[in-house]
Amino acid sequence: MRVIRTSILTVAGAVMLAPLYLLVVNSFKSQQDIMERPFSFLVHLSPSYLWDALTAPTYNVVRGYLVTAGFVIGVGLLCLLVTIPAAYVVARGMRRAHRVALMIMLAGLFIPSQVLVIPVVYVLRSIGLMGTVPGFLLFETTLTIPVSVFLFTGFIQTIPRQLDEAARIDGASRFRILVQVIVPLMRPAIATVVVLNAVSVWADFVNPQIILGPASGIYTVTTGVYAAIGQFSTNFAAVYPNLLLAIAPVFVFFVFMQRHIISGLTSGALKG
Amino acid sequence: MLAPALALVLVFILVPIGIAGYLSLTDWDGFTPRPGFVGWENYRRIFDDEPLVQAAVVTLVIAVVGTLFANALGLGMALLVDGPGRFKSLARGALFYPYIIGAVIIGFLWSAILGSNGAVNSVLKALGGAGIPFLAEPSWALVSLVLVIIWANFGVTMVLYLAGLQTLPGELMEAALIDGASTWQTFWRVKFALLAPVVTINLVLTMISLLRTYELVLALTAGGPAGTTQTITYYILTISFANGKLGYGAAQAVLLMIVILVVTVALTAMRRRAERDVAA
Repeated sequence: MRVIRTSILTVAGAVMLAPLYLLVVNSFKSQQDIMERPFSFLVHLSPSYLWDALTAPTYNVVRGYLVTAGFVIGVGLLCLLVTIPAAYVVARGMRRAHRVALMIMLAGLFIPSQVLVIPVVYVLRSIGLMGTVPGFLLFETTLTIPVSVFLFTGFIQTIPRQLDEAARIDGASRFRILVQVIVPLMRPAIATVVVLNAVSVWADFVNPQIILGPASGIYTVTTGVYAAIGQFSTNFAAVYPNLLLAIAPVFVFFVFMQRHIISGLTSGALKG
Repeated sequence: MLAPALALVLVFILVPIGIAGYLSLTDWDGFTPRPGFVGWENYRRIFDDEPLVQAAVVTLVIAVVGTLFANALGLGMALLVDGPGRFKSLARGALFYPYIIGAVIIGFLWSAILGSNGAVNSVLKALGGAGIPFLAEPSWALVSLVLVIIWANFGVTMVLYLAGLQTLPGELMEAALIDGASTWQTFWRVKFALLAPVVTINLVLTMISLLRTYELVLALTAGGPAGTTQTITYYILTISFANGKLGYGAAQAVLLMIVILVVTVALTAMRRRAERDVAA
């Protein structure tokens, strides 16, 4: 049994990691070596291709990192600020109106954001936020609301109400109860939501591409890679290094935080 | 405390849905301030639009085949990597990592591997073979697309199944084994039955996300060859949006939303029976 398990996992792991191996090794090879011996690492390896991609005039990779990281942090914070109070009210609420509010916030679960963005362009244009960072951040934050509210509401319902009541008897305001009693207990759920949002904002392509657009000159990692590589590019000595640079930050993050990411996803995901 | 969240949902989800509904009845091109009203014309056009019908078929194939395989593999792998140990932890990471990379990068990477001059074909040609048209021939391209989708997605379902497995009470499995059940029986009759709610969540989530497949198509095949791997979202965004047929695109978007809602409700209702069997 153990032998079967180990061999299945080894084969599956190899299938999963082969693209990653090709990505890393070919980022250091010339076009000719990539074409002739794509799987080999016994050729001349040079960091110059990565350097070329890093310093290419068309798209500034470092700036792409900073812009995307800024979006990840901005959306992450906005999301927590907006969804934690909302989820608290809904989770503790008894009235019908609370259930309706929850339904409204969950409605977005069924809406494909890729097509929602078309009428959103219409809205952003009419309020003058089309092509701007605030417009992008507000829409991107809204897209995180359904899942975040869903997870937070489920989690808060597992926290005993008696804690709220004890704090209220001690004279704490509703806001203070939330900040000092409930939020500290929500750490696992917050970790899950932060990870989910960070991944989805970092990897998002459609919204920055359409809302910010090439005209704004603001590139995230994904829209930058898309602009740099374009379609059907066969200059592999540029393709591989650009892709490697695009995933390097998240990958380093993942390798060091894997345990927390996976356990964060699992512990928060099924409480709801 | 509710107001900010509700306001955002109102402005950026509910109002846009209403606008999409309105635009779908017009011939808006994205620029004219006053779109002309055309009634149900856009909806009528949808069913005569051959490339769009084909995109619907492609989307359906991706959603159904992808959901089934991503879940079967995800559950199978979850059973294999469940529990402590360095090797299992490494395996979890290796199976899950595509999730954090994002679909655009995955698409470009696989197109560099499977393309006509890509890594695999270079080797095949060097060995004297003819190469395989993974992305260059319609039926191959669809197969490649679905395989890459499964490759990229089963890790997420695996993580959710792992979460489900950790909530199962260990005593039940022991009790079943003591009663003389085989490992196989304990799996199907106990573990799998108790996992029913997680299976439902996973099926619904995978199905919803695959029905909106866009970025991977854009980066892997760009809808090609000759438009044979276009999905509905790809068609809406690249054909309707880029060609200034926003009213028509809105009609397709509204239909897609309805399809997703119907599929979700239907799947949940179907699975409710399986879940009730657990409760009984």
